[in-house]
Amino acid sequence: MAALISAWRRPPAAGRAAAGAASTLSATQIGALGVLLAAAQLPLVLHLPLWIAGFGLLLVALRFALLRRDRLRPYAKPARIPAWALAIFALLIAIAVRKSYGYFLGRDPCVAFLFVLVGIKYLELRTLRDGSLLVCLALFLLVTPFFYDQSIVAGLAALPAILAAGAALDALSRGEHGLPARSWRATWTRTAALIAQGLPIAAGLFLLFPRLASPLWGLPADHAARSGLSDRMAPGSISELSLSDAVAFRVDFDGPPPPRAARYWRGPVLSLFNGREWRALPPRAGGRLASGDGPRVSYSVTLEPNDHRWLFALDLPSALPQIDADPALRTSAGGFAGLSGDGQLVTRLPVTQPLRYTLQSILRDRHPGASRGDLAIDSQPPPGNPGSVEFARELRSRHPDDRGYITAVLKWFRDEPFHYTLAPPLLGDHPVDEFLFDTRSGFCEHYASAFVVLLRAAGIPARVVTGYQGGDINPRGGYMIVRQSDAHAWAEAWVDGQWQRFDPTAAVAPSRIERGLSSAVPASDPVPLLARADGGWLKGVQLAIDAINYQWRRNVIEFNRDRQRSLWRDWKLDAFSPWQIVAAVLLAVLGWAGAVLAWIAARRTRGERAVVLWDGLCRRLARAGLPRPPWEGPIAYAQRAAQRWPQFAIAFRAIGESFAALRYGSASARTPERTALIATLERAIDVLPSPSALRAIGK
Amino acid sequence: MSVQAASVAVSQPGDARGRWLQRLRQRAFRVAPADRGPVVLRHSRIYILPTRRGYALIGTLLVMLLTSLNYALSLGLAVTFLLSGLVATALLHSFRNLAGIEVKPLAAGDAFAGEPMSFALSLAAGRCERSAIVVAAAGASARARIESGGTRTITLAVPTQARGRVALGRVTLASDHPLGLWRGWAYVHFPLAGIAYPAPELHSPPLPAAARATDGHGKGRGEDADLAGLREYQRGDPLQRVAWKAVARGAGWFSKSFEGAGGQGPLQLSFAALPARMSTEAKLSRLCAWVLAAERAARPFALSLPGVLLPSGMSEAHRRAALTALALFPPDS
Repeated sequence: MAALISAWRRPPAAGRAAAGAASTLSATQIGALGVLLAAAQLPLVLHLPLWIAGFGLLLVALRFALLRRDRLRPYAKPARIPAWALAIFALLIAIAVRKSYGYFLGRDPCVAFLFVLVGIKYLELRTLRDGSLLVCLALFLLVTPFFYDQSIVAGLAALPAILAAGAALDALSRGEHGLPARSWRATWTRTAALIAQGLPIAAGLFLLFPRLASPLWGLPADHAARSGLSDRMAPGSISELSLSDAVAFRVDFDGPPPPRAARYWRGPVLSLFNGREWRALPPRAGGRLASGDGPRVSYSVTLEPNDHRWLFALDLPSALPQIDADPALRTSAGGFAGLSGDGQLVTRLPVTQPLRYTLQSILRDRHPGASRGDLAIDSQPPPGNPGSVEFARELRSRHPDDRGYITAVLKWFRDEPFHYTLAPPLLGDHPVDEFLFDTRSGFCEHYASAFVVLLRAAGIPARVVTGYQGGDINPRGGYMIVRQSDAHAWAEAWVDGQWQRFDPTAAVAPSRIERGLSSAVPASDPVPLLARADGGWLKGVQLAIDAINYQWRRNVIEFNRDRQRSLWRDWKLDAFSPWQIVAAVLLAVLGWAGAVLAWIAARRTRGERAVVLWDGLCRRLARAGLPRPPWEGPIAYAQRAAQRWPQFAIAFRAIGESFAALRYGSASARTPERTALIATLERAIDVLPSPSALRAIGK
Repeated sequence: MSVQAASVAVSQPGDARGRWLQRLRQRAFRVAPADRGPVVLRHSRIYILPTRRGYALIGTLLVMLLTSLNYALSLGLAVTFLLSGLVATALLHSFRNLAGIEVKPLAAGDAFAGEPMSFALSLAAGRCERSAIVVAAAGASARARIESGGTRTITLAVPTQARGRVALGRVTLASDHPLGLWRGWAYVHFPLAGIAYPAPELHSPPLPAAARATDGHGKGRGEDADLAGLREYQRGDPLQRVAWKAVARGAGWFSKSFEGAGGQGPLQLSFAALPARMSTEAKLSRLCAWVLAAERAARPFALSLPGVLLPSGMSEAHRRAALTALALFPPDS
């Protein structure tokens, strides 16, 4: 670092100085580029390690400080950093990034490196070519925050950088022509006008530019941990999840949504038990879709990324989902895999981006279909928990009938003093025993787990099903939000040759199923705000924001190939042949070009108010019989008009003199004077009667 | 001129093709000075291509597009397309900045070979303001900004190398306003030409003796001619002989008339009289220097070149005629 600082004081190398003054950037240009750079860096700051974010911004700030130094001491040698020092510097940064991330050739470390690299480039920025390069790098940097966040805020955060890019290009171009820099305000309004004129092109491209069906190169895995259900369940895991307001998925129903008590969103099915923790089997093929009678529901789910491979469906889907998003799931390796043997919808790749799918379900609590192997696993006697096994054996001896036994267990849950709570006490080595006979207060996972243990101990095949139960309609968007706080666990048992759903939680706390979490747990439990029935205005605001976000996600972020195709179908674009579409696009572009050119011309004329007024007057007088030859000046012309119409001599004199002063005088610099002159001109012209009246008087 | 060569090589139907190619070349590149009178730049004359910065930016946009498509980043696409809209709008503005400019040839100056020759063109803006227009021809360029409705005279100082007729050649009007992403340009080719006189010899020998003054003291005449009096100024009198003091007093325009100059008789500047070992160009240079010296000395002179004979005279027009004759004297082939 000491070498760097001493190098700044060194006089510039002779070869560099010979590059020419014209191609050297001025302080204004460097300032404009710095603003662009800062605007492009800032949206990324939240997604980078702190040291990289701080360092990248620091480099830009350092150059600003050097600029200030150059301005304050114009005769000092301009601060320079030699290229070799910067190269070493860049290498060090690359090594540090590699250390920080653990790998270098990946999306995230490369973004981080680029972030610092533009800072370094900015520090040594000197020529116009450097300026062009920096604009390009900054613009590319502008896309990278969207790897991590595509919210409305992220979109808005990119806008200042787009404006700054226009301003920087303007500054570079003006410098090349030796024109003085414009004021910031003028530059920004001008750039905004240019961008506004380009909006139709941007919108057209967004709607019509074909999207990819599958990515061109591999998408690296995203390492961020997300909250949500997992393929394991230990006591406390779901009650912990229920403390989160985060959205699991959103649902649009075709028609009215089914009642809350029927809204079991089926997720991971857990069959393996080790005495304490439940785990899912690896997914196997062989699931059978629901068929037969029962209320049918058709709906679309927009799943938040959860890094897992399952999709949620109302119990039980009658058709495979149609995934209409995400090219990642369409690649040969990915894509929808199917319905697994235990009735889960499984994808081939983890869901790392928002995913939308359309689905039909038949709402029934029982469904056929199980392989012999599954039944064998699901009827294994539970390990550990000797008290529970003993209790089950004793109860089974009184109820040899499967259905009778299950009813007895549920009745036992209902009659004994069990409590439903979000904050259950911690459990030891035999959690089911402790729960059933000691603590007797637990959350849904305790009940589901204990229920399945009791069934398996009695020889009835049973398993735990996790997922979500309930969901709330957002009154502002008409769609349903299912949150992590709706996470639930229930049980399935093999009775009479088919799987049947039993929810022991419903036996203990029926209101959890009927009215939701907040009505079922004690008031002292830490129910998250948005899961409460009475969230107050804050909940209202949250729902409104969620509605906006949902529309944003549906219409902007998930505007993918399929949405695009369906839009084209809606517009009947597929009815036209390609050349017709090309012709239409060409026509539209020409129309746009014509409109913009006309707009420019109109704006220019509006700008020269005095000329417009004068031209209008000349046209009027020409119609009145006194055309102005091109060589005649304003004062001479006005004199001639005053001779023709002596009754308006004063007005004509005022017109001639004020226009001459506006056009050829020194008033152009001082605006108040100019405004006054224009007002005079306007008033004097207003005095004159219409051309036909003038013609009549003049004769 | 490869087109002409091709048209010679092919037969009758190809001749038509050659002519067609020629017309196309003229239309596309304005190779011949066929623009007479004012030219208004229209879309058929205006070309637009990206500048280097424009290419770089378009390349960046392509990379952004690919990245956004691959990662299905809708917002990335939105940003890319917004910037594409900006680039497309800049194209229109570049076009608008040139379209509608009226170019008029004004005049060609004269110069001695080696000195820059100035050509004047007039640019009228029309309804729009024109920014950063670069007018370039034959190695000279000038930059102009014209207010809407305004007119500007552009003077191009074209460097000259050899004597003779110097054509302005094809003029290029170019601009990369507003963002420096697109360079629009248009060719205008006026038959505008000036005359480059031979470069006067630097240390030329003194003027030759006058025709009648064959005796000894004939050298350096002119400088010591005596002022005889003033006479009324007549058009064509050399400026050196105007009595400026009288003009400054407001007494009117008078020319000084000298005694002695006439007495020395007219100078005979003759090509043939110069030593034969001198090359044609050297002779022309010396004659040019002498013409200038005679003018400085306010002495009438006659000029004789092979094929050209200028009778004795002394006026601006005479001087110009003499210099032009020297400039256009056929070179040694």
